[in-house]
Amino acid sequence: MIRLFLIAARNLKRSWFRTTFTVAGSAVALVAFIMLRTVLWAWSAAAEYAAQDRIGTRHKVTFIMPLPLRYADDVRAVPGVKQATYMNWFGAKIPTQPDEFFASMAVESKTFFDVYDEMVVSPEDKARWLADKKGAIVGHVLAKKMGWKVGDKVVLEGTIYPGDWEFIIDGVYKASRRSIDDSEFLFHWDYLNDTLTGEEKDTIGWVTSRVTDSSRSADISKEIDRVFDERDTQTVTMSERAMNVSFMAGFSALLTALDVVSIVILGIMLLVLGNTIAMGVRERTKEYAVLRAIGFEPWHVRFFVVAEAATLGIVSGVVGVGVAYPFVNNVLGRAIEENMGAMFPYFRVEPSIAVLAIGIAIALAALASLIPSIQAGRVSVTDALRRVG
Amino acid sequence: MSTEPTNERESKSNRASPSAAADDEPAQYRKSASPEKGKAIIEMAGVTKTFFRGKEPLTVLDGLSLSIEEGAFEALMGPSGSGKSTLLNLIAGLDRPTSGKATIAGNDIGAMSDGELAKFRARHIGFIFQSYNLMPVLTARENVELPLLLTKLSSAERRKRAETALRVTGLDDRMDHYPRQLSGGQEQRVAIARAIVHDPTILVCDEPTGDLDRKSADDILELLTKLNVDFKKTILMVTHDPAAAERATITRHLNKGKLE
Repeated sequence: MIRLFLIAARNLKRSWFRTTFTVAGSAVALVAFIMLRTVLWAWSAAAEYAAQDRIGTRHKVTFIMPLPLRYADDVRAVPGVKQATYMNWFGAKIPTQPDEFFASMAVESKTFFDVYDEMVVSPEDKARWLADKKGAIVGHVLAKKMGWKVGDKVVLEGTIYPGDWEFIIDGVYKASRRSIDDSEFLFHWDYLNDTLTGEEKDTIGWVTSRVTDSSRSADISKEIDRVFDERDTQTVTMSERAMNVSFMAGFSALLTALDVVSIVILGIMLLVLGNTIAMGVRERTKEYAVLRAIGFEPWHVRFFVVAEAATLGIVSGVVGVGVAYPFVNNVLGRAIEENMGAMFPYFRVEPSIAVLAIGIAIALAALASLIPSIQAGRVSVTDALRRVG
Repeated sequence: MSTEPTNERESKSNRASPSAAADDEPAQYRKSASPEKGKAIIEMAGVTKTFFRGKEPLTVLDGLSLSIEEGAFEALMGPSGSGKSTLLNLIAGLDRPTSGKATIAGNDIGAMSDGELAKFRARHIGFIFQSYNLMPVLTARENVELPLLLTKLSSAERRKRAETALRVTGLDDRMDHYPRQLSGGQEQRVAIARAIVHDPTILVCDEPTGDLDRKSADDILELLTKLNVDFKKTILMVTHDPAAAERATITRHLNKGKLE
């Protein structure tokens, strides 16, 4: 069987032109498929790689509505909560580059890096930041992109909190977990709060906690919400993963559309492969007849066709992955992480997607060869030989 | 209807043995003992073959009977549409008679299933076509090995037998050449090596020299004669070429589905 497979595979050498274009067409389709799957995967990576022991507490109605500052201490008092921190979404823009999007947050400085310990910042940077009210810690991707260095003075424009805000870059963090955006801009919550008056003062966006036992996250979340049940402002607490999933649910239509497009791409690939295989079978009718004449049975002939198609699938898959892997990981992924880090903190081709792509290429090629192989097996030997002469 | 041959020439069984068939080669390439004199290897009794064009029946072979002895070298001639290829297909086990009985190497062709016919062909029949029909992506040796892929022989044994068959056909120095690197005559020699590599009972040749120039055709006919005389292969050859028919020991003429 192996020998038969190898002979069938060599049929791809008959027409380098056709084989090259078929492989190229299939590989391009596969690259598009891999990129789409990577978008879908990267989108869900935040949920996939979310910390199991981290829970978030927000306003019961929507995360846009603030919570009273004292809620943070109330959350810390709930049994099972190891540490809690709070923050406000700031929504800063760079005046000279208003289209540049990055997450900017006013965070409780003394606890933030305890709760987000996968955002690694050096002790020196952290100490400098804690001592500097206008200080900011930025993700290394954002710092590199904007050319910011420690000690630089940066003026940002507030969108939620209007005005020009002056910051000093005190340090740079680097995420050790894929779910964390490496492009965030973090500064002291006190710096923001000190400028606020009226109802906005002493309010926080949400509270994030680490729990002592991740298996009890759901129970502790319920316990936290129960604390605020009788108050004017109720809360909803959920795991970081659930929070990310509920955030993604808002984009379900887009995700479904991407799914559909990726299936359409596979359909196109199936047609490309099917056309090539059908052409090959038509051209080789007489060879199949000769094989039958010298004693090969119909299943041998069908095997020849499927084996040749499978080889085409393997080659297309390997070429497609061979192109997509370095392109996405070294070029596209880096660009996306730099420019869209808030949505795609980690944009790389997962090995599982690469394996899936090769598997799909082989399966599609085999599927495309199904009808041609059946036709080849049914070749009338005498008719075909008569045409041979 | 007569089934007697219309010409006959003397046997050349005392010809020199082919130099390629050395003593250490597989048994089928050594000079065989003479086939059993008078034993029929092909027997057809009242064979009719009818095709349908739409609803119109077309009788191509009409109650044909013939007997061919083991070790014979027979030529089959006749005008186009006379039924030569149909008869050849029946003898080769590619088709079954509509009526009558065709017994080839002891097998009743009409009673065999498709799978049994495939195995019958693999065991008993060696095909030589007019247009060689080699696989272009395989070397000469690999083409010759093809029928052996249906056997349980080891890779080394398959290779050895293929090389021996190629030596018998005089292509020792072209084993690793692809068909496109060979002349027409050489391609036909590879096809002959492919036809004999599994030691078939009968060689079935359909216009084996039809695509060749005179010199190459003569070489191929010489080779077929050698296979018949030295290796005792039964050969049935369809041809339009009187010079080719001259090489056969018996020539039969077919016209409108009947032997003349």
